[in-house]
Amino acid sequence: MKYLITLFFICLVWTANAQLFTTQTGEISFFSKTPMEDIDAVNKQVGSIINSATNEVAVQMRVTNFIFPNKLMQEHFNENYLETDKYPNATFKGKIKESIDLKVAGTYAVTAAGTATIHGVSRPVELKGTLVSTGKTVALTCLFDIHLDEYKIDIPKIVFKKIAEVIKVKGNITYTLR
Amino acid sequence: MHRLLLLCGLLSSFQLVAQDDLLAMLEKEDAKKPTYTLATFKASRLINGQSVETIAKQHVNFWISHRFGAINSGFIDNFFGLDEARIRLGLEYAVTDNLLVGAGRSTIEKTYDTFAKYKVLRQSNKMPVTVTAFGSVASNTMKTGYTMESGTVMRFYNNLQRQSYLGQVLIARKFSDKLSLQLMPTILHNNLAESVYMENTQAAMGFGGRYKLNNRLSVSAEYYYNLVEKDEYEESAGQKYPYHNSFAIGFDIETGGHVFQLHVSNSRGMIEKHFIGQTIGSWENGDIFYGFNIARTFSFEPKIKK
Repeated sequence: MKYLITLFFICLVWTANAQLFTTQTGEISFFSKTPMEDIDAVNKQVGSIINSATNEVAVQMRVTNFIFPNKLMQEHFNENYLETDKYPNATFKGKIKESIDLKVAGTYAVTAAGTATIHGVSRPVELKGTLVSTGKTVALTCLFDIHLDEYKIDIPKIVFKKIAEVIKVKGNITYTLR
Repeated sequence: MHRLLLLCGLLSSFQLVAQDDLLAMLEKEDAKKPTYTLATFKASRLINGQSVETIAKQHVNFWISHRFGAINSGFIDNFFGLDEARIRLGLEYAVTDNLLVGAGRSTIEKTYDTFAKYKVLRQSNKMPVTVTAFGSVASNTMKTGYTMESGTVMRFYNNLQRQSYLGQVLIARKFSDKLSLQLMPTILHNNLAESVYMENTQAAMGFGGRYKLNNRLSVSAEYYYNLVEKDEYEESAGQKYPYHNSFAIGFDIETGGHVFQLHVSNSRGMIEKHFIGQTIGSWENGDIFYGFNIARTFSFEPKIKK
């Protein structure tokens, strides 16, 4: 009996864990296009978790991990625009609206509603994306826009024409079941 | 038995609670990775001397540096020094993110310098300072028998005598997003000293720092205290030591791909050998030189793949 109860709790702990899809190597890239300059950067160290029991999603990345082809640009991005000394992380926390079971293989078009925090500013957002599940892994692709002024990211007038007001963001995140 | 049950119960409930907040879990995972401090200084040079910064891999910096004549040299004669300038042109290339190599040529004593700079430690949440090692060789290519600014007539009998070597350890800490301070212990060796009373090897201690006024503008200052025994020289040579400690103060202005450094200093040399060892001007006498450095960065890194 004693062992049975212990076993039961161990199972409970184990199953509690086994419903999380996680990664530390998700990719998020963004793209700013203006007639003067195209700027793109990619972050390949994005951490994210999906809880398949509750369909909650969380994404967190260090803004300093965005790699630009031009390092001076990267420095400006961190020092002047995103102020990463003050606001090191960008996060998203939300819930998938559709009732899906990610443990069942298939392709799901989803909408996640929640809060995005960038540059210290939190805003309610709704993100659309596609989840492809094999039961053991889940691949997320999503595409969305960020309006710089909504997150109080100031671009000085001199470089205003070089940086788009609306930045296109692309997510490519592959999760594995833990 | 009951204790075991309780423990298991606690354990399982803890697990359940812990995964309630997915962001907190990510935060915990993230905390394992070190956080490196970025941009302790704006450029690889503080003013005359080096900063701990190296530049990004496969980037090239082209440095154009000018030091005008003394501000107290008169309006009619010298337009407050702007009629004449000493120049250094330099190129530096980043082999890796931590290793920088470069070369330059100065007007002063027609000197060629080559250097290497290696970032040994990076400041992070686990490391309090950034440490960079700097070494350079300077070759004086003046005709033998020229007169130095100090009045000494310099004669070379072989090429080895024209060389000077420098080793420096740069230790810096970014205290806040605005304030960074740096220490620069330095050893300088001239193969040929200009007088028998002067040491070939000199030690100096440098202090420097910057304070950011806003995102594009910062104030920086730099002082090198030469540890040479000036009293001893005066006693044995019977004259005052001709050189002073170097102090410079200025602004760094940053625009897109350029850094502009505007400053005043009592040194006109732009390499360590000159401003640490041979600063002829002194602030007390008003020998102040206005100068600027411009750095233009080029990237040779291929476009990132998407």
